[in-house]
This record gives sequence, structure tokens and C-alpha cells, in this order.
Amino acid sequence: MASVAEETVVPGASVPDVIHVRSSRFGELEVPADRVLHFPQGLIGFPRARRFVILDHRPGSPFKWMLCLEQPDLAFAVAEPAQMVPDYEAPLALAARTLGTDPADVALFVIVTIPSDPTAMTVNLMAPVVVDVRTRRSRQLVLEDGRCDPSYRVCSPRPESGVAAAES
Amino acid sequence: MLVLTRKVGERIRIGDDVTVQVLEVRGGQVRLGLSAPAEVRIFREEIFLAIEGQNHGAQLADPAQLADAAAVWEAYADGKRS
Repeated sequence: MASVAEETVVPGASVPDVIHVRSSRFGELEVPADRVLHFPQGLIGFPRARRFVILDHRPGSPFKWMLCLEQPDLAFAVAEPAQMVPDYEAPLALAARTLGTDPADVALFVIVTIPSDPTAMTVNLMAPVVVDVRTRRSRQLVLEDGRCDPSYRVCSPRPESGVAAAES
Repeated sequence: MLVLTRKVGERIRIGDDVTVQVLEVRGGQVRLGLSAPAEVRIFREEIFLAIEGQNHGAQLADPAQLADAAAVWEAYADGKRS
């Protein structure tokens, strides 16, 4: 399958390789065109949000930024679930079938909901974002088998150490 | 709303490539068979609404939220390791 970039190349014309994004909330950034993720159906509840970029928060952190290019004030925190949810079985085979690719080419992220008390943050294991890393076609997958929690609490409460940490 | 009456086994076409078939009617329940291209997402409405609500609630209002959450996570993960 031809990539979007190949289809839109005009001979002799220069291909823009950087997309400028200006957001009142998140500042200005330059996104390499080859990092743009295409969500043909948008995100659930955001059907017109079709192009996103996922950027690292800090090296080694499981947290990433997921910024929408069409609506620059729309952004999410996403995370790689492997460290955060040890028993999560990433649905790579289903993701690969849905995206029409190989499981080895699937990247999977969970969307993080951060309430005013961040220790109560949750991740949505029921509807992960899956990316075909070769074509960057992406989709929010929905797992309807009832086993995946849409608001899985990442930092399970530990009253004794939690209180001590807050007071120290 | 368009209202159609169908018998068990009969189908409805939506557009060129979506088919809905009534498979079984029993008590207050209807079983439907749906055929659609892979790019058409099909959900029970309550699932759709739950995910939509979750997505809306997950929008970042401020970049500091993510930095705070990442710091909280790091402290939590360090605490678990020690």
C-alpha cells in the first residue's frame, strides 16, 4: 500500500517535512511529518480529531503526550502499559487484525485520566490506542469482552506509605 | 427516525456495505447479525457512551497535569521497588 506521503508527492515540489503546531495551552512545536499518526475514524467522541502525534514526556518515562494536530488544544496523556499494569495482556493480535498488519508492527498506548488528585489517576485498558508503526495508521480499539477496566487505577492506594509521603 | 418492520431472517442495508439481519426474537430480546467493512466501528451504545465519556474526561486542561502524574507515578514505582 502506498503511503500518504508518496501519493501526495508532486514532482519538483518540495515536500514539507515539518508541521508547525501552535497551541495556546501547549505552546509551539514542530512535528516531523513522519511522526504523524492517522486516525481515519478519529477518537471515540472526537470524530474529527484524525491526526495526532505522540511525543515522549521524558526519556525512560512511560508517559507520553498525544497531541491533536487539527485541534491543537486537544491533548491527552497516554502511557505504555507494560510498566504500569503488570498483568495487562496487550491485545496485539486483535490490534494487528484490525489495522491489517503484523503484531510485531503494533504499538499500543493506554489513555490516562488525571483527576485533580493525580494519585487517583486511571488508565483506560478497555480502549487502547493502537498504531501500525509502518504506516502510522491508528485507531482506538475497543475490547468488549468485559475483562478490561476502562478506569484501572494505576497507583493502588497504600494508606500507610501514602500518608507518610504526604506528611514528610 | 426511520422505522422499519422486519421478520426473523430479513435484513436491512445501510449504505452499500452495511447489512443488519434479524437473527432471533425471543422474549424482550432481539439478536442481530451485522456485516460491515472493518473501518466501520460497531458498538453497543452503552459501550460507546462509556468510552466517549472516558475520552472526554481524559482531555488535558493543562500540561502540568501530565508532568504531575508522571512524577506521582515515578514516586509510586520507586516505592514499590524499595
